[in-house]
Parts: sequence; C-alpha cells; structure tokens
Amino acid sequence: MSLTKSMSSDGKLFTIEIKGKFDFNLVQAFRSAYTEIGDSSPKVIVDLRETDYMDSSALGMLLNMKKSLGDSVSGIQIANCRPQIKKILQISRFDKKFDID
Amino acid sequence: MHVLVVDDQALNRTLLRYMLEQEGYGVSEACDGQQALTEFDNCSPDIILLDVVMPVMDGYEVAPLLKAKSQDVYLPIIFITALEDQASLLKCLQVGGDDFLNKPFDQVILSAKIKAHSRTRELSIKSYEQNRQLAYHQLQTEREHELVEHIFDNALKERFAIPESIEFHMSPASMFNGDLFLTAPSRSGGLYLMLGDFTGHGLAAAIGALPASKVFYTMANKGLSVGDIAAELNTVLCELLPGNMFCAANILEISSSGRAISAWLGGLPDSYLLTPCGEVEAVLTSQHMALGILESYEFERDTRYIETSSENRLLLYTDGVVEAENAQNEYFGEQRLLDILKSTHYKNLESIVDAVNTFSGAADQQDDLSLVLIKCAPLDLPATHSKRFSSTPIKIKLSLNAKLLRDSDPVLEFINTISAVEGVEQHRSNLFLLLSEMYNNALDHGVLGLESSMKDSEDGFIEYYEKREQLLRELSSGSIDMMAEFEPEQSQIRFKIKDSGQGFAAVKKADADMFHGRGISLMKEIASSVRYNEKGNQLEVVYNLLDS
Repeated sequence: MSLTKSMSSDGKLFTIEIKGKFDFNLVQAFRSAYTEIGDSSPKVIVDLRETDYMDSSALGMLLNMKKSLGDSVSGIQIANCRPQIKKILQISRFDKKFDID
Repeated sequence: MHVLVVDDQALNRTLLRYMLEQEGYGVSEACDGQQALTEFDNCSPDIILLDVVMPVMDGYEVAPLLKAKSQDVYLPIIFITALEDQASLLKCLQVGGDDFLNKPFDQVILSAKIKAHSRTRELSIKSYEQNRQLAYHQLQTEREHELVEHIFDNALKERFAIPESIEFHMSPASMFNGDLFLTAPSRSGGLYLMLGDFTGHGLAAAIGALPASKVFYTMANKGLSVGDIAAELNTVLCELLPGNMFCAANILEISSSGRAISAWLGGLPDSYLLTPCGEVEAVLTSQHMALGILESYEFERDTRYIETSSENRLLLYTDGVVEAENAQNEYFGEQRLLDILKSTHYKNLESIVDAVNTFSGAADQQDDLSLVLIKCAPLDLPATHSKRFSSTPIKIKLSLNAKLLRDSDPVLEFINTISAVEGVEQHRSNLFLLLSEMYNNALDHGVLGLESSMKDSEDGFIEYYEKREQLLRELSSGSIDMMAEFEPEQSQIRFKIKDSGQGFAAVKKADADMFHGRGISLMKEIASSVRYNEKGNQLEVVYNLLDS
C-alpha cells in the first residue's frame, strides 16, 4: 500500500498513483497529496493501475477530492483501473461524476 | 603422385615405369582397358598414361569410363600414341583425353607434362576439399539458423490473438528480423504494445529480441506502466548488448475503450494520429533516447497521454519505411507515406509496403521494415481466467478481542487466506471489498460506536477517521468474530461477522441509516445476498463465484 504523486514538467498533468490497497489508511496521505496541487489548474489523473483493492472509504476520498478541488483543476480522470476496480466504480455510478478510463 | 600406365606392350610399360620412378612417382601398370579399370580401383591414380590401340578394351573406350570414376576431382588422361592423323588425335580429345605423349618417349617432355598435369590435379583436389568444407559449414550454419529460428518463433510468438482493430506488417531484410512487434493484454482489459528496431539488421540485430520480449511479457503481466516497462527493458538491454547496439522503441498501453493511449516514445520515427480521412491530427515525436543507451539513473520514464475518438487511427513504423532508397538515392520519406494513407487507393498496410517496394525498384531492401496501425476502437479482449474451483469445503474463523482489534488490520490477510482456494484468486478484489465493508461497519459502528453522518462534510470525513484512530487506541473491551466459508457445491463464499455492539436495532432510527450508506449498497450489488440479524450486530453476506 502506497501513494505517489507527480506533476508533469509543463504543470498540466498531476498524477496520483495508488499501489496495493486503497482504503481509509490513505485518508491523510490522499488529502495532503491534492491540497498541494498549486494553481496551474492541471488535469488530475488518479492512476489505479497497481491498485488491487478498494472499498467505500476510497470512494468517499475520491468524492471529497472532487468537492474540494472543484473548478481549480481542469478535470479528474480515474485511469488504468483493473476490471474489478472499474466495476466497483461503475456500480457506485462514479462514471457519472468522473472521467473513468 | 601416382601414375597408372596402360599399354599392351610390356616394353613400353617398363620404359615408362623406369622414367617415372626416376622422377619419384609411384607407378602401377595395366595391359588393356579392362585391366585399367580394375587397377584404377586398386591404386587410385592421379594421372593416367593411356595407349590407344589395345586388345580387349582400347583407349578410346576406357577413357570415358575412367573419367567417370573421378567425377569430383580432375583426373588427367594423357594418351600415348604413335598416331599422327588429325582424326585420331581429335577422337582422343573427344573421349576425354587431356594431352598426348608421342612415341618414342622423350624423358624431358614426359616429365614436363606430368608436372603440368600434377599441378592441375593438385589444384582440383584442393578446391574439391574446400568445397566439401564449405558445404559442411553451410549445412552447419543452416542447422544453427533453424535452431535459432525455432527459439525466436517460440519466444516471440503471439501469446494471444491480436484484436482486429490492430493491423501490422513486418518485412525483414533477411532471415532474421531486427524489428520487433510485441503485444500483451493488460490487467484492465487493455493492451500493451511494443514496436522496436534494433541497430542494424539480420541475426546480429535480432538477437536482442529474445531478452527484450521476455522482459516485455513479464512486466506487462505485472501490469506496470509503459514508462516502468521501458526502464526495465533499458536496464536489461544495457547489461546485455554491446555498446554500439541499442533498440529504438515505442511502448504503448491502449485502454480497453481504445480511446486512451499512454506512450513511451524512444527513438523511432514520428508516429501519427490520423483522422478517418487520413489527415494528421497529432504527431507523436520521440521524447527519449533508444533503449540500451542510458544508465538507469539517467533514464527518463516520461510518458505521453493521448485521448482520441474511436474513429481515429494511430500509425507507428520503423525507419526502414521512410529510409527506403530508390536508384537515385532518394528516400521514400514521411510525405509519401502520409499521402498513401490519405489516398483512396489505400486498402491495408500491405499497400504501403507495395508502394515502398515499387519506389525502391530493383534496389535490395536495405533494412527491416515494419508498420503498425491501431484503430482507436474498443478492444473487446476475451477474458482469460479459468472457472475451475476446488472441491474441498473450507472454513476460516477468526476471533478478535480488544487487543487484536487495536493492533491488527486483518481484512487483507483474511482475504489472502481464502483466496488460496483454487478458483477464488481472481475474485479477491470483490471479496476484499465485501469483507472490508463488513469489518469496518462492525468495528466503526458496532464496537466503536461512531456515526456515519460525521462523514458528510470533507472535514468531518477526516475527523471521523481521526476519531476512529483515537477510539481504537483506547479500546479496552469489545470483540469481532468473523468467518469465511467456501461452499464448493454452490460455488460460493459465505461471510459471517458478529460484533459485540448493541446492534442497529437498539439505536435511534436516524443512526440506523448509517448501515445503508454507500458501503451497503455496494455490497448489495456485488454479493448475491446481504442479511443482518434482527438485532443488527450480525451480518451474513454470500458471494457467488460464478457471477462476473
């Protein structure tokens, strides 16, 4: 379980990668990751490529991020989900609120 | 050198033997053609001195038979003759004679002629020997190539069917391809794809394909990002390849929708994103040096993301296409390539290869030539996992007292244990979600008495988890029992969890809603049944392994 964040050199893309388990243990780390985002209004990518597990607390964290960032970013994409993770997001109707790929 | 003297006159034979032995040659004798054939087999002569007129079988008759016995190596036949008419001499040559020796014999002439023909004979033996060695080496090389080809085929063969939306064409300049095209499914239903071009062509270039393909398949299977796959390939190729050899490559991951592509671009010519009518919408220019050059600490993983619509196509190719030369030393170039894609003649990638070949005309193909065209449409890859389940019913139970609740985070460990049952592994994300919801509900609301409504605001959300941490630290009583049971006959897993709390039936109606938040509706979608006991402190969830 770990979280890494990075901003592209042109400041247009902010990526948060979550490995392993995405649950309440990451509450603090996840919030502090996106509060440092700055004012270049980048696009945010939450890369779940290596996320094996998530539960409803992760969904809550994602919703909070959306509420908190609002229009200060040019979009939030949840990217590279494995099929089961994607299904969880779809069941929760997150595809209506986020750009899920 | 050994000389066979064939003459019916004993005097001639003796004379010739004497003269030849003086010169240091070995000598055998025969008194007619028939005997000459037998003697030939006994002494394997290098040169034959042959009389024309003999009983039993004359010189004309035996000459071609003797020549036939020595097909691989030149066998000089020198006719011994007193005849001087043109027709007889001509016939000597026609039946295979190489020279004449006139009677009576002249020691100097004989010696000179024998020497001259010996030289030719020696030369012929040498070249025969060299041919034989050459043939041997050629055969050995062919065998080795076959072996290598076999290994390449096995290492590079498609592990799964490439989706129809991806078209590719490769024409190597020689038997072995220094270009490499690999694909592997990603865990999210998408596809990894790599087009590589090793320095040079032929076997020397192709050899790098073996380690490269192994790394690519392994890393793709692990589900790494294209930047990480590139970094791993770079490390391995740096280690293995000589300093002057490297691999220009594009490594792509295409999402299952086909519309999102992440690309690590290292040293290949520009790739093009094309609209349906062949206009270039975006150019993907190489951002990195080829693989196998930079040390690990210098290596950059930066990736380009492309989002596009499903009508568009992405074209990748190696420099063999644009650097194909015609007789005037002109390059085929990007423009010609793009023009073909735009033109109405364009049917498939082969039409591009045909155009390149027509352009270069009679000139030999100089380099390996590969093209990949990706339609950005949904991939629709088949699911790969098995449906085989264990037939053994297995039950796992765990009782957590206050101390264990404080110090452990048991959900994942519990799921790992039940996932070891054959056929369950691929459901672990879902099983984790179910048990995580169950456990956290039992702990948060049952044991710790937290209220969900706290989580409604963002700050409350954080506060909730801070409070949870604090309560858990101070926890001195309470317990949770959990159980997972694999039921092979129904192909299902039954979870039961019971907490020491008073149950939601005992609390106010408003707080009962906390059990019906996002978590519970998720569980209801994923599990086949979700049932609380009346008191509300025990929850039973059944998950069907045959669903999804």
